[in-house]
Formats: sequence, structure tokens, C-alpha cells
Amino acid sequence: MASSVALPASEFQDNLFKRALRLLPGLFLLVAVGWAGKFVEQSIARYGKAHHLTLPNIEYVLWAILIGLVISNTVGIPAAFRPGLATYEFWLKTGIVLLGSRFILGDVLKLGGVSLILVAIEITVSLLFMTALGKAFGLSPKLTDLLAIGSSICGVSAIIAAQGAIDADEEDSSYAIAAVLALGAVALFTFPLIGHALGMSDTSYGIWAGLGVDNTAEATAAGALFSDAAGKVAVLAKTARNAMIGFVVLGYAIHWARKQHTAGIGNKALFLWQKFPKFVLGFLLISSLATARFFTGPQLANLANLSRWAFLLTFAGVGLRTNIGEMRKQGLRPFLVGAVGEVVIAALTLGLVLGASRFIH
Amino acid sequence: MPDKTETTNVAKKAAGLGISLDAWAVALALGFALLVWLGWIKRVPW
Repeated sequence: MASSVALPASEFQDNLFKRALRLLPGLFLLVAVGWAGKFVEQSIARYGKAHHLTLPNIEYVLWAILIGLVISNTVGIPAAFRPGLATYEFWLKTGIVLLGSRFILGDVLKLGGVSLILVAIEITVSLLFMTALGKAFGLSPKLTDLLAIGSSICGVSAIIAAQGAIDADEEDSSYAIAAVLALGAVALFTFPLIGHALGMSDTSYGIWAGLGVDNTAEATAAGALFSDAAGKVAVLAKTARNAMIGFVVLGYAIHWARKQHTAGIGNKALFLWQKFPKFVLGFLLISSLATARFFTGPQLANLANLSRWAFLLTFAGVGLRTNIGEMRKQGLRPFLVGAVGEVVIAALTLGLVLGASRFIH
Repeated sequence: MPDKTETTNVAKKAAGLGISLDAWAVALALGFALLVWLGWIKRVPW
């Protein structure tokens, strides 16, 4: 009896060990690229200081993304590195939870509350607009829905969640993900430029990046590229948007179940809980602990720095997983629908944020 | 391109151990917070 229990346990440990081993090459690459980004930023700053030059302060975020992009689009990413690289999303979520230590709960409720109102408007208009656009361009209904969900809520996670819920094709979800990520890469560079050109405050810009950029990693990076404070607010606004994922996916799942006469959603509360991003709860918990003065000042600084390290791996992953050649192969029409939709959504959210700016300071 | 398959695989593997990727991320972050609070992690440089 004892041996029959011990065998599966050792097999489980073996599997766990092998899985962990497979992650190592990619993890090392994430660390190396992230650290290289930080090294370049610091080297330029040191050089400027030593030679009394005023050089533009280009943040490590941009360097990490650019170095990753160059590697991914020149030498490419060998298969052995891919499992580890895919953990960038895990580091993103860990970073978001730890970032809770930099927010007082009152700020979370105030900024999160304003963000939630803007998110509700953004989601409603985006879903309607993207659906109409998909029909106008003759895309399949499921691809249209995936694009609408991806661009209105939270990019890749929402598309993956919706793919299973509405029983969409793998190909459709790949198209939708490709469009969302390609446009996210464009937003990384255009959002900070527009924000600076309009002279936006850190808070206003952060909320705009959180509402206008679809994928969480790109929204976080677009915020951080503007300023550290804007990056913090962008994460909060994006987290408020992510919290809506379950409700929207549930709505689409019920719609498609009725349309295809398949079994509907049995336990809706359970469905919502399964789709709810749990890192939002972790973020709120850490923020509550920080508000209750559970941590001392130096401890809060340590948690903030741990969050920065986690984001550093995320930004490296954003660059490393973006392959422009592969994006070209995905076809033009879904990309066009996504591009038109994104420009309209970016303009809409910018208008919303500027309109609400007196409530968010 | 975006390694959706890899990301999904990682998520599935994490789920195979009984909890989601999200929950692992929350667990790791709370673990770090506990170590910082206990004083086991004294200084995190940046």
C-alpha cells in the first residue's frame, strides 16, 4: 500500500522537477533581457553625468522591450526558451499583486471607482462598435465577437476565456490575439507620445493607458513608458477593466448557447468566479494591508521593488514574444478591423478621461 | 508570434496542479509579502 502511494508521489515530483527545468532557459533569457534594459538605462545616465551632458532619460522599460524585439525578430527564439518566456504573464500578475503595496485603499476606491464608470462606458461602446465593424468587413460572427471582447476588455486573457465559452475555432482566436497584440505593440510607442504632446497628467494618462490599451502587459508598459506614477495608475485602471471579464464572457456564452441551441451555463455564480481574475483580489488584499499599516516604510519599499523586478521580466517578455514576420502572416482583414476599432476606442477613452479629469485629481 | 499556445499550456499545467496561474501568482506575491514582513527579506535593491 505504502509503495503504491509512494510511486505516484515520486512521479509527481519528477514531473514537477522536469517542468521546472523546462522553464529555466526562458526564465534566464527574461532576466538577461530585463537586466540588459536596466543596464543600458543606467549606463546612459552615468555617461551623461560623467560628461556633463543632458541626455534623454529613456526608461529601462523601453530598452527591455526593444532588446527583446531585436532578438525575437533577428535570431528568433529557439523552442527550448519558449516555456520559460511564456511565464511573463505570471510575473505580470505577481507584479500587480505586489503593486497593491503602493496604493492606499482610499485611492484604489476613488481611482478604481472612476475607472469602473469609464470602463463600463468603454466596454459598452467598444462591444457595439467592434460588432458593427466586424459585420461591415464581413468577418465571421465568432471572430467578430472575439475581436470585440479582446479590444473592449483585456486582450489575450479575455479572448482565451471567451474561446472556450463560445466554442470558437482555434484559428479565429489566433487571429484575434494576433490583432490585439500587434495593435498593443503599436500603442506602446504611440500612447506615450500622444500623452506628452497633450501635456496629460500622470493620473489622466495612466487611466487612459489602462482603458485604451487592450492587453494587460502592454497597458502596464505603456503606462510605465510615460512615468512611474502613470504606470501605477495604468495598472489600477486596467485591473478595474479586467475585473469585468467574467460578466462579458458570461453574456457572450449565454448568447451563443441560445443561438446554437446548446446547453447553457449551469451555475452562473461559479462561472463568474472561474473567470474572475484572482490577482485582483490579491492586489486589494495587499493594498488593504498597506493601508492598515501592516508594513513599515522600508518593508513597503521592498515590496515595491519586488513588484518592479516582476514587471521587468514582463517587459522583457513583451518584446521577446512579438514577432513582426508572424504577425504579417495572420491576414489583413482582422488586423484592419482591430486597427480601426483601436483608433476609435483610443479616441473615445481619451475623450472620456479628459472629460473626467476634474474628478480624478 | 505571441505564444498563445505556450501561455495556455503553462496555464493548463498550473491548473493541473489544482490551482490556476492567477492563484499561483497571488500565492507567490503573498509569500514574498510574508517574508518581507517577517524580516527574512531585509532589502530588495533596485
